[in-house]
Amino acid sequence: MADYEVSRVIDVRGEVCPVPDVETKRAIKGAKEGEILKVLVDYPLSVERIPESVKKLGSEVLEVRKNGGSDWEIYVKVKKQ
Amino acid sequence: MIFSGFLIGLIFGALLQRSRMCFNSAFRDVLLFKDNYLLKMALLAVAVQMVLVHLLAQMGLIALAPSGLNWVANIVGAYIFGLGMVLAGGCASGVTYRAGEGLTTAWFAAIFYGGTAYAMRNGGVFSGVWKWFQGFGVAPFQYFDQATGEGFSRLYLQKAGQTLPSVFGVNPWIVVVICVGLILWYVFGTQTSERESKIGLKMAAVLLGAVGAFAWYFSELVGRNYGMGITGGWSNIWSVWLSGKPFSWDGLSVFGIVVGAAISAVMAKEFKLRMPRNPITYVQVMGGGIVMGFGATIAGG
Repeated sequence: MADYEVSRVIDVRGEVCPVPDVETKRAIKGAKEGEILKVLVDYPLSVERIPESVKKLGSEVLEVRKNGGSDWEIYVKVKKQ
Repeated sequence: MIFSGFLIGLIFGALLQRSRMCFNSAFRDVLLFKDNYLLKMALLAVAVQMVLVHLLAQMGLIALAPSGLNWVANIVGAYIFGLGMVLAGGCASGVTYRAGEGLTTAWFAAIFYGGTAYAMRNGGVFSGVWKWFQGFGVAPFQYFDQATGEGFSRLYLQKAGQTLPSVFGVNPWIVVVICVGLILWYVFGTQTSERESKIGLKMAAVLLGAVGAFAWYFSELVGRNYGMGITGGWSNIWSVWLSGKPFSWDGLSVFGIVVGAAISAVMAKEFKLRMPRNPITYVQVMGGGIVMGFGATIAGG
């Protein structure tokens, strides 16, 4: 349960599929090398899919943390190829 | 026995919730994220159901009753439905199980989708459009002769819509083997996207396909020659609400999907009333629901 120096929070809770995925993708593309993003998600499908699309973009998933109910925090370390 | 619809719906809803199955996501994942996980799950479920449904028909437990072929209506309607489901945030079964998961946008999408489908079939403003498209229908095919029992195939009703086997004049099992073979090659012979999931792709597909096939059997027991139907189900719920008609098998199955998904989501601690920050999203999903209901009815599904 490490805490990270988060530089940006992307809150996509309550959004209609695929907005959470698309917003995350956009945020990663707009971020700088080494930045840590925190994505707040409450949709199970997106929680399973976002880590995979992050990896595909070449960035690193630091942690997927579940907070009680249907709420997750995904920590992403941005890497530019 | 009509309550078997509710039970099948319960199981199907729970499976959809656990497997995250949604046709909308399945296609979009491939196009937008180059991720074929859900599409493979969907196709494998189709293959499983294809084999089981034909087996049930071969054993004489059900008669296949494809609805009338209508190239124009099927293609135009499906295209419109596709536009609608993107706006609504899910396909027909997708918004139905997500409504059970507590996604409030899905409630509005489903309500407007079912309401539009009901209105189109019951003299609403757009019912003329539906009737006009009906004119392009291809005449049904006679699968066998009632008197002699001889004919093309006994797997079907005596008269039903054209199918690939009837168009090409080949044994239905040949079409099954070719389709299933292609699907198996795609699912197992090409690289699959990875994904952390609760039930794996194969298990989910087999269960979904099996429940889909047994839906035909239970539906047949109440005299309904068909599998699960989401549009018809929502339309029936509206007719119960608006004109006091009785629940049909598919109406109860849609009701079951919502309840089954809700139970499954609560058990997995994934139930939550989800609301988008931007209220415009509600307008978007309602519009999407209307377009979906319009397209689905034209396409005949």
